[in-house]
Amino acid sequence: MTWNNVIIALRNLRKHKVFALMNIIGLAIGLVVFVFGNLLVNYEANHDANFANANRIYSVGSIAAPELDVGVDRINSTFMAVGPVLGTTLSDIEYVSRSMAEEYLITRNGDGFYQQIRFVDAAFFEMFDFEFLAGDPKAMDSPSAVLMTESSAIRYFGRANVLGETVTLDNEFDYSVAAIVRDLPRDTHFNSSVFLAADFEVVMSIKALGRMRDYDLAGDWNNLALNNMLYVQLPASLDQAWLQSQLDAVYERIVPVDQREVTAGFYVTPLKETNLAIWDTLGLPVIEVVRLLSLLVLVVACVNYTNLATAQSLGRSREVGMRKTMGAGRGQLLTQFLTESVVIATLSMLVAIAALELIIPLFNAATDKMLVLDYLGTLPWLALAVLIVGVGAGIYPALLITKATPIEALRDTARKGRKGSRTRSLMIGGQFAISAFMLAIVAIVFTQNERVKETSFEFPRSEVYVLNRLNVDDIRERLDVLENELEALPRVDSVTFSSQVPFEQNNSTHDVARLPGDEAGKFAIQVMRMRPDFLETYDIPVLAGRSLDRNNASDERTVGQETLNVIVNELAIQTLGFASPQDAIGERFFDLEVPDTVAREYVIVGVVPTQNITGLFNSLKPWVYWYQENIVRVGSVRITAGNMSDAIDDIERAWKRVIPDYPIQGRFLDDVFDDVYNILKLMNSTLAGFAFIAMALALFGLFGLAAFMATQRTKEIGVRKVLGANNLQIARLLVWQFSRPVLWALAIALPLAWFAASLYLNFFSDRIPTSIPILAVAGLIAVLLAWLTVAGHAVRIARANPVRALRYE
Amino acid sequence: MLKLHDMFKVYRTDEVETVALNGVNMEIDQGEFVAIMGPSGCGKSTLLNIVGLLDNPTSGDYWFFDENVAKYSEAQRSIIRKKNIGFIFQSFNLIDELTVAENIELALLYHKMAASERKDRVAAAMDRMGIAHRAKHMPGQLSGGQQQRVAVARAVVGNQPLILADEPTGNLDSVHGQEVMEMLRSLNSEGTTVVMVTHSAAHADYAHRTVNLFDGHVVTDNTRAA
Repeated sequence: MTWNNVIIALRNLRKHKVFALMNIIGLAIGLVVFVFGNLLVNYEANHDANFANANRIYSVGSIAAPELDVGVDRINSTFMAVGPVLGTTLSDIEYVSRSMAEEYLITRNGDGFYQQIRFVDAAFFEMFDFEFLAGDPKAMDSPSAVLMTESSAIRYFGRANVLGETVTLDNEFDYSVAAIVRDLPRDTHFNSSVFLAADFEVVMSIKALGRMRDYDLAGDWNNLALNNMLYVQLPASLDQAWLQSQLDAVYERIVPVDQREVTAGFYVTPLKETNLAIWDTLGLPVIEVVRLLSLLVLVVACVNYTNLATAQSLGRSREVGMRKTMGAGRGQLLTQFLTESVVIATLSMLVAIAALELIIPLFNAATDKMLVLDYLGTLPWLALAVLIVGVGAGIYPALLITKATPIEALRDTARKGRKGSRTRSLMIGGQFAISAFMLAIVAIVFTQNERVKETSFEFPRSEVYVLNRLNVDDIRERLDVLENELEALPRVDSVTFSSQVPFEQNNSTHDVARLPGDEAGKFAIQVMRMRPDFLETYDIPVLAGRSLDRNNASDERTVGQETLNVIVNELAIQTLGFASPQDAIGERFFDLEVPDTVAREYVIVGVVPTQNITGLFNSLKPWVYWYQENIVRVGSVRITAGNMSDAIDDIERAWKRVIPDYPIQGRFLDDVFDDVYNILKLMNSTLAGFAFIAMALALFGLFGLAAFMATQRTKEIGVRKVLGANNLQIARLLVWQFSRPVLWALAIALPLAWFAASLYLNFFSDRIPTSIPILAVAGLIAVLLAWLTVAGHAVRIARANPVRALRYE
Repeated sequence: MLKLHDMFKVYRTDEVETVALNGVNMEIDQGEFVAIMGPSGCGKSTLLNIVGLLDNPTSGDYWFFDENVAKYSEAQRSIIRKKNIGFIFQSFNLIDELTVAENIELALLYHKMAASERKDRVAAAMDRMGIAHRAKHMPGQLSGGQQQRVAVARAVVGNQPLILADEPTGNLDSVHGQEVMEMLRSLNSEGTTVVMVTHSAAHADYAHRTVNLFDGHVVTDNTRAA
């Protein structure tokens, strides 16, 4: 009986090849998106299973205080001072370890690479069971030991067995290779795809930092860097909730008051979800969005199938009538029709799996992930998905077609009447609502991203070549020579050095106030430490007063100095309460940051416009620009527009002449911008991909349905033509039939899209003023697409000879 | 075998009420061959549908053997139908996706029956109708006459005691029409009760009894001596 149903199903497919193909392809696309989306989400959400203690290890992150205003709620790292405190105050925990990632130049025999190194506490090796190929964890407690993964050893030495060999950091500190471990798999948070430059390659004891830069092993309360992690391992008897409650208490006890404006608390994440926590630090719910959209696309595909199958099944009314006449019960017929849709779902799944087998390796190669379609583990789920999709999508047509009494069915009244046409309209509208919803969001996100890009052009993005990592004493000493060499180059306009360049996501602030010690009136001002020619290099005009002067002693910040001449932006002027830039010249404000040392006094000598220096999603903030030599970290080389690659060659040669012992680390300001902007772009292209698929499926369904409905109304059309309707009127009739569901779908989708998009827009402080025109355009596009899809059928049917149309019945 | 008493069938739409059967009384005994005649719209097909338990009367009683089935639900009717009645339609109503053999087997599919027995009975029915060589063909590949023979085979394969034929020759030329009538006659001579709706007086002559309907009434009911 059931096998019989399968055979009938397959024959039916063969007979209606086009419909079958549309059904299978449509459903397969939905399944590909759904299965792939879920594989990806599960992959990102289940990392680090390779570590034996994975279930007992937790990472500790910080809840961003609202005052911090950096666009994210949670940051996956904490101040490095927290770790040692936990170690001494919580006696019930097994291990605590920090991991700080910092970049150093590692050289061996003159060849050097800039390398992200993880500096860890000794307990790190008790918690994480790396596979040691040589050496042992005990040796890693030494301040002059280095651990390398197999592949990084090969990179530096050309071979893996390098135990005891020496490498040099920043041309100064020698380290001996004390351990070689096997490379970690891709699916560990140590190799998170969010921090691209920070793969797990080289590890040292945190004591090495003490040796190289007098780092206080107790940690600090200054730096909240995303690459810093804090891990806690609990005994099996304690759980996440326990650790969270302990951390809440620790927060109250130990976090200094002025740091509470940065962290509002700690949060605990199980190790396996730590990768996800790192994703969350982006501030955009990328993973959740993928999960939701892949489900929505599957829903669209199912609705699509239901719609086509319903239309198609009405053509089989006589068969149902005949079967009923011969005594088939409704249950038996339902089984038959559901078997058919499960057969189609199965075929679609097979097509989808074949497609995934092609897509996954390409995706893995492109993104350096290791997604696997593990049949053993996922087969039950895939089978369940097939069953749910098959029954879910097939139940409506099955119920509809088997509902008729035998006589109705034999007379084929369903086909002639409008049976189920309301439900079909609902379904068309539903899938259009989903796809128009996505389309509208894509349009809004795109427009907002364009605005972010547009604003970023207030800085000469493509003309500034940024030199990184100048904060090495060895290099800093040679900056003046470097500047002279660079400025002598024909294609270079100007050169400057500063603590940061535009679009870098650094937040270095001082608490200041108009009056000395005025705690009530204080606010945080962003600090740009720079050489005076920074303004010139970045074309920043001075609105009032003057620029700073390298030769004026009170223009330069030095140790112990009490009064400093500074430049501020207009927003700082307003915040301080001055009426105009001119009024502020010569006025003072005070630093509240270091009350126990000299109370520093700032004199405003110049005012510049308010620019969004950190750019992107950040809000406009008050800034102070001052001249300070010893905090220089980056250089900006302004290149005369023209042949950029020649200019870069010149710059690289000049660097080599002056600083031959450190490789140059340069890139365009464009690339700095892209660091974050690419994430926004990725978000949008992901959305756009889903929206495209959903819209294509919806149009696909509309096309099929239009074909069916057109044949269904052939007689009506014939009569209308005989009575004098012209082709245009007929075409309009058919197009209008499909416009109604599309229009009400838009009425639902657009407000929802407006709401959902505002969640994205809220992430930005500089938002597009209104999304309504964008919604209108997106809606219009959806309607036009729908019309184009059905218009072809409508015109063809309308032009047919009326006599043929009438003979059809 | 069948007894219809004071049977009405009224179709109602929003505003119009159409009386299709207007107090029909009729009895059919086992072994009869009855032709129902009458102009279009006189209620022939409605009567046949009710007799065939495809539909319920609006009022009146219908004894099928000893059961009054007039108020039976579709599920109850379906059980009686599959045990007792074989159908032949003007438009054959063969399922295009199934082969000839499978179409015939369909009539047995909803009975509890071993697959081997089904095969035997299908083969026997095909032999009898002279379509065994077409067993693997699809209905679309057959002529109208052959298709109707398949439909007759399907109607008889279940060995139901009653065969209802709704204008079985309506779509056939005279030669093939006669063939089908011969088959019905031979079925009847083997003891099967046949009730047939027809427009053709010539074909009605194959029956022993002719019932004429007009506007939902039985106007004449003539039985000929065999």
